[in-house]
Parts: sequence; structure tokens; C-alpha cells
Amino acid sequence: MGWTQVALAGVWGGLVAVERKAFLQAMFSRPLVAATAMGLLLNDVPSGLFIGMLLELFHLGTANLGAALPDNDTLSATGTSAAAATMAAATGAGSTPALWSIAILLFIGLARVGLVVDRVLERYSSRLARKAMASAEAGQLTRAMQQNLWGMWPHFVLFGAITAACALVGFFLGPLLERLPLPALRGLAWAYPAMASVAASIAARGSHARRAPLFAGLGAGIVTLAVLLVLLRGCL
Amino acid sequence: MSVVSPPLSRGVLLRVFLRSLFLQASWNPQGMQNLGLAYAIYPALERLYPDKQALEEAVRRHLVFFNTHPYVAAAIVGGVLYHEQRIARGEEPPDRVVAFKAALMGPLAALGDGFFWLSLKPATGAVCAALVPILAAWAAVLFLVLYNLVHLTLRARLYLLGLTLGDRLVEAVARANLPTRGAKLRAVAAACAGGLAAWLAVTFGANAGGRFAPLLSAGCLALGVVSYLLVARRVPNYVVLYLAAGLACVAGAFL
Repeated sequence: MGWTQVALAGVWGGLVAVERKAFLQAMFSRPLVAATAMGLLLNDVPSGLFIGMLLELFHLGTANLGAALPDNDTLSATGTSAAAATMAAATGAGSTPALWSIAILLFIGLARVGLVVDRVLERYSSRLARKAMASAEAGQLTRAMQQNLWGMWPHFVLFGAITAACALVGFFLGPLLERLPLPALRGLAWAYPAMASVAASIAARGSHARRAPLFAGLGAGIVTLAVLLVLLRGCL
Repeated sequence: MSVVSPPLSRGVLLRVFLRSLFLQASWNPQGMQNLGLAYAIYPALERLYPDKQALEEAVRRHLVFFNTHPYVAAAIVGGVLYHEQRIARGEEPPDRVVAFKAALMGPLAALGDGFFWLSLKPATGAVCAALVPILAAWAAVLFLVLYNLVHLTLRARLYLLGLTLGDRLVEAVARANLPTRGAKLRAVAAACAGGLAAWLAVTFGANAGGRFAPLLSAGCLALGVVSYLLVARRVPNYVVLYLAAGLACVAGAFL
């Protein structure tokens, strides 16, 4: 078991959790970026990249509008990719679509867990705001302003810990994966493109375009035609 | 109130901009971004109000409820500095800056949400996800470059607009025509997602099928269409995803 990998997963998971809402929001926390970087850190870029692509599409339409909290797409991406990478390391057979499918099916629900954690953290931030008000009333302005920065550390610690736990779980799940019968593994391998196709459809719906079915249909038609033309030219 | 307040140096203006990146560090349901805004402009207020009493008053007027889109907030942060400088010089009453924030935060939030969250982010995400088969991990790098080129440029530009124009920044923001550009970006996102769904279906058939290849590709495409319809009928995304995975598992195990 690689404790370094678990620690790396935790640190990256914590950093992107802070970046997601508390600081900058330059989209390092988007599934495509966060999961690919996680794959890079844990020496399994394909797992990170293909899980990131699927989750990017799946969560494409989610947005933090006003006070409404969406599913935590970042935790879902970092947790799933960390678990997939450590599962691949534990099996020693490298990353495969079957492994990505298992990781996605088991860990995609982390987005809902993240949402619950986000709600809890809002209560903590409310306490900080009250403290800041009291400090400002008492004339302690520097202390009042510092409260703003204290709002970030729980994001780092909690989400980092959850991501590290996912990486750890991956090490234990890896050997179990090897015991699955061949037909089940083939089925899981087929599940990845099926889920990716579904995620792309969900993304088309989540694009918020006025005539999304028309544009999605156009995109699909052009790509299908192009691939068929390439295949036909290869046959001739 | 101090009438002889020194002007804000470039260093202070840069510090305020950098601190505005922490606008949501302690986002809370009551005051929302109030603490973040006060934290961002604090170096400027310290400079404008050498008198402690005036400084306390200035900080308190920015600890009231504040919420807008975090990027577009840069325009309001700039505008707040514009007004605070005038207030410190005695050219306008303190309630002008409060009214300025209250008037702009709602419309700018709607503008920012519509353009950044519901247009630029999905479009960049869909384009770069569609490019994964070609660019591999570089698609993630491209995502960051494309998105932040627009994000950081607009954020800095809006800050400067607020700083120099004050209330007149509304006209300048309106000229940017963000809603129309957003609609185009959303169409790009939908087209890319559709294209990627087709590519995934066709390559899946080619890789897994053998003599079943056309059947599998068509099945995968049909799955995409059915998923779209189910999601449109408000079936939860997770349910649709697990259903598709279950179907594919069964097909893979028995075909």
C-alpha cells in the first residue's frame, strides 16, 4: 500500500476543494482538470483522464446559483479518480475501462456527500461571520478581517480527508476486482462507454441551450458521418 | 471624516484585487459575501481613513449583506473603491456606496451566472471533453487556458471599469453583450456533447463488436437518445446512469 499516494490524493483533494468556492475559482476543481491531475499525481493518467471526462459531462449543467448548493462535482471527481488509480496500482494490471466503471459506480455518489459537507461548512462560516461582526463592533478590525481566511481550512481538511480515504479504499478494492468472473469484467468494460454516452446526453441537456436537441443532433450527425466516411475510405 | 485622505497607490489597488479572489472564503447564508468584500477592500479603507473612528464606520457599512457573482464582483469592488475615495474626500455621503452595491449586485449576479456558470463553463467543458480522444491529458490544460483567458481578462477589466467609471460601469458592461455571446456558447456546448456521444458510440461498436459492431454502435446511440428523453422528463441523472451501466453489464456478460 502506498501511503505517499494516499497523502498526495488528500493534499490535491483538499486544494481543489478550496479552489472550488473559497479562492480564485479558476476551474482547477472541474472534474476534467481535477481528476486528470489526480491521475498524474498517482501515476495513472488514463484513469484520471477518462473518469474526469465522463464526470465533466455528467456534471456539466450544475452551477452554484445564488444560495442554492449543487452536487459537489469536485469531490466526486477527486475521490473517484483517486480510488481508480489506487485500485489499478493494487491489481498491478494497469487501468482498464472495467476498473473505471467500478470506480464510477461506487464513488460517483460522493457528489451528494460533498453537498452535505458543504451545508455543514456554511454553518461554520456563519459562526465566523458573527465573530467578525462582534470583533468589528469592538473595534478589532484586523481580527474581524482575518475571520474571512479562517473559512478556508475546513474545506481543505474535510475534503482532503475524504479523498485520501477514497484512495485508501481503492487499495483494498483492487484485489477483490481480480476475483470477478470474466463475463462480469467484460460487462463492466462495456458499461464505461455506455455511461459516457449517457453522460454526454446529460451534458447536452445540461448545456442550457435553447434548442439543445437540435444542436446535439447536429453534432452527433456530423461526427457519425465523418467516422463512417473515414471507415469507408479505409475499406476501399 | 478625514478630508485629506491620500490617494490609493497602485500597490493598494493590486492588493485589493488580489484579496478579492478570496471573496467567497467565508461565504455564509446570512451575509453571504459580506465578510469577503470587507476583507478585500480593507487595505484601501485603511489608507483612505487614517482616523480609527472613520475606518470602523467604513468597515461596518461593508459588513452588511452582499452577494453577487464572484467574478463580476470585481466590478463592484472597483466601484466601491471609486465611491469610498469620493466619500473620504467629502464629495458624497456614505450611503451612496451602500446604494451602489445594493443596486448592482442583483443584475450583475444574473449577468455573471448566465454568462460564466451557464455558458462559458459548460461550453469550455464540453469542447475540451470532446477533444480528449485527440489531445488526451492536454485537453485538461486547454480547458484551463481557454476558460481563464476569458475569466481573468474580464475579471481584471471589470475591476478597472468599476474603479474608473463608478456608476457608469453599467453602460460599459451592457456594451459587452454577454447574454448574446452566452447563448452562442450554450449552442456550442450542446453540439460538442452530441458529437462526443456519437463518437463514443461508434468507437465502442468498433472496439467491442466484431460482427455485432453496427448493432452495438446503434444501441449505444439509442441509449444516448433515450437518456436525453428520460432526463428531460426529470428522471434523476444518477438513475439514468446506473440503468445504462446495468444494461451494458448484462449485454457485455451475455453477448
